[in-house]
Amino acid sequence: MNSMQLDLQLNGEFKRWTIAPGDLLLDVLRREGYFGVKRGCETGECGACTVLVNGKPINSCLMFAAQTDGCEVLTIEGVEQGGKLDPLQEAFLEYGAVQCGYCTPGMILSAKALLAEHPDPTEAEVREALAGNFCRCTGYLKPVEAVLAAARVYRTQAAKPQKGRTSQKSKRKSQKSKPAEGL
Amino acid sequence: MFDHIEQFYQPTTLREALLLLRKVGKHGRIVAGATDIVTQADRSTRFLIDITRLGLNYVRGNNRECLIGATTTMATLEHSWVLRTFAGGILAKAAATCGSIQNRNMATVGGNLANGSPAADTAAVLLALDAQVVVASSRRKRKIALAEFYAGPHRTVLNGELLEEVVIPALPGGGRMGWSFQKLGRTETDISLVNVAAGLQADARGRIKWARLALGAVGPTPLRARKAETLLLGNTPHEDLLTAAGQAVMKEVNPISDSRASAEYRREMSGVLARRALRECAAQAGCKM
Repeated sequence: MNSMQLDLQLNGEFKRWTIAPGDLLLDVLRREGYFGVKRGCETGECGACTVLVNGKPINSCLMFAAQTDGCEVLTIEGVEQGGKLDPLQEAFLEYGAVQCGYCTPGMILSAKALLAEHPDPTEAEVREALAGNFCRCTGYLKPVEAVLAAARVYRTQAAKPQKGRTSQKSKRKSQKSKPAEGL
Repeated sequence: MFDHIEQFYQPTTLREALLLLRKVGKHGRIVAGATDIVTQADRSTRFLIDITRLGLNYVRGNNRECLIGATTTMATLEHSWVLRTFAGGILAKAAATCGSIQNRNMATVGGNLANGSPAADTAAVLLALDAQVVVASSRRKRKIALAEFYAGPHRTVLNGELLEEVVIPALPGGGRMGWSFQKLGRTETDISLVNVAAGLQADARGRIKWARLALGAVGPTPLRARKAETLLLGNTPHEDLLTAAGQAVMKEVNPISDSRASAEYRREMSGVLARRALRECAAQAGCKM
């Protein structure tokens, strides 16, 4: 069996790993101890294995590890900053959006990618962003509420440096937390 | 699961990729988004050639045509400013239904066509747009009409070749156009049970002078409903005409029954979706119904 070298930036750190040519990203990440990347359906349906590659959510069960050579990869292990939970993680705890927890890493990473592009998403946008992350416990309501709440925290944080100018967006909150039917 | 893969090639030029393709022969497969390759897990594959680093990720529009690189992802199609306006945004709309966001960030338009799936959502749309595909081997390059590209279920005419680019020719001038993409699936982004792409152009008096109607998941390959198209030409759209067109579509499709839907249901829905699509097109084209 041939082996090859994989260089990537994982959660902000440079990694050089030896992999087999047919290794999937999911398997490599778990082999290296990143167990927050969950093994679910292994056919790209459930989203439990979601990680961000160059900021975009992908199913790591469908991607060859070699394809991430030179890429930035973010797993749930890299979401907290300096021992402090990300507002998304805080919101998932606060809103009871974590039950069995299996879908949580993927959900939070999908949500993180959404909020990076759309700091003020509608509920429909949140639901679409989470549509590739199956949850069998929560019924989706609480994760959706948590993402909307985290979005408000992100916006407040972003607005802070500009003193004396309250963000218009951060005022529009509760109106969007009403649940819609289905996903 | 993929311990049978001996080499994972990552060429950076098309030339290099084509030479590799020739070298590895039938034991090699092309990888882009990998979403099909991984789920199929074909154990006869020993070599993979990743074509995502060849610079084939682009959408270029000009007055004459629209060019799309083979490894352009569904997400890129969906958000492309060119495609959101081109032909009523029909291709961007179809791309937005190709699986979850994670899938769409990986899956490519070239893969959606080259895997030969009869249910491919971009295929029906590209058929309605009279698209062609540029396919290349180390020896030659040829341009094939997408309508000639399919050879059967999950089979194409590709012969040791690589799908390089999708070419959408200029839309016909001289009249308002209408476009519609209709899809029936278990969810909005699930695999299609039936999909329909339609385009109409009306003359100044509201008569249909150009019509395209293409369907997916209702035959061995994505198909054009040419009899229904002919039936529309020269007529002013009204409900009876659309009903007749829907009936013609139902005769032209050849669906199978599977775990997702019966052939009868698919046939019936082909007519319903075709009518719906034509109604939307007619309204956009400025026809009074």
